[in-house]
Amino acid sequence: MWRVVPGQSLAFREWDGEAVLYNDLSGGTHLLDGGAVEVLQALRPAPANAVALATALAGRFDCAADELPAVIEDMLAGLAGLDLVEPFPC
Amino acid sequence: MLTLADLPRRELAARLAGPGLVLRTGPFTNRIRTDVPLLLDGLALLYDDYPVAEPGGFADFSLSLHRAGGLRRWYRPQVHFAQEGVAPFKPLPLDQAFAMFEWVMNWCVTHRAHSYLIIHAAVLERHGRALILPAPPGSGKSTLCAALVTRGWRLLSDEMTLVRLEDGALLPVPRPVSLKNGSIDVIRDFAPDAVLGKPVENTTKGTIAHLKPPRDSILRAAEPALPAFIVFPRYEAGAATSLAPLPKARAFMQVAENAFNYQVLGAAGFTALGRLIDTSSQYEFHYSRLDEAMALFERLAAQPA
Repeated sequence: MWRVVPGQSLAFREWDGEAVLYNDLSGGTHLLDGGAVEVLQALRPAPANAVALATALAGRFDCAADELPAVIEDMLAGLAGLDLVEPFPC
Repeated sequence: MLTLADLPRRELAARLAGPGLVLRTGPFTNRIRTDVPLLLDGLALLYDDYPVAEPGGFADFSLSLHRAGGLRRWYRPQVHFAQEGVAPFKPLPLDQAFAMFEWVMNWCVTHRAHSYLIIHAAVLERHGRALILPAPPGSGKSTLCAALVTRGWRLLSDEMTLVRLEDGALLPVPRPVSLKNGSIDVIRDFAPDAVLGKPVENTTKGTIAHLKPPRDSILRAAEPALPAFIVFPRYEAGAATSLAPLPKARAFMQVAENAFNYQVLGAAGFTALGRLIDTSSQYEFHYSRLDEAMALFERLAAQPA
């Protein structure tokens, strides 16, 4: 399970499939692709795992449905490196 | 309003040596004190159109540039800068006093004026549309800026673009355009009537000369402009003139990298920069010929919004 790091408001601006996102905790700004922003928004209401996120975002990504959980898991790992998401104990 | 040109030289010298010359540059009021004749000469030549206020009263910035005392009065004389009694920089050779004055005038704004998002960029206006030229080193920003003002563009600033946080308007701070090394002769050739200050040699940036801003730009210093274009220029010898759109998210990141206080402003800076990107078009620009660059920017400013 993953959750948005508490304190992150996820303020972002998106243009043409790319986005910039303000990191409330570091004060930095990140350049992200639109897919990463979709994952963050889907995770905002409540913690979820990659399979649940893949179900919620089915059809929004240009990859096979059975590959989507792994793709999202990779994205979550990248977002965790930016302190935007973190593992959430079940 | 009284301008610096209205002050007899004796009065100008007396204010500079005594209570301070109170000079208005865009939204800022500066109290300037100095005993350096070279600085007085530079002010008289390049700032004669600027409004001045009576001595006393409020000033945003108080700057003092004075000759070093003791042995340094005769041996390799130096100039010291202090702001409100604090000396944040080492002294410089006395003959660099005017260049130091310009640097510290910029420094005061970029380190204090946090009610604006301040981008390290030239900004000019034509037909009601502002052109922002952010400035990675070696970009040729100041050369372009100087050339554009000699071709009728209104100068808002050669060095810093002030974005008002409340509404995204660009506030002018027109001051002399700083030209370096080879750019000095380029502009002398391009605009023989342009007024340049005395070149200052052997600075950390090489030889510097300042171009006097057009009088109209000073008179309109209280008139904000609306952003229309953000163009990242790159001078390359022999390069063909080219203008290519830049994706907005990438332009956002590049402008943030060129801002003096984006990090200081936090979320307010993010919001202001997002609006700036929304309300303008962004491009990468390569050039080697100034005349072609002028024609291209004229077309850009004239095109329908």
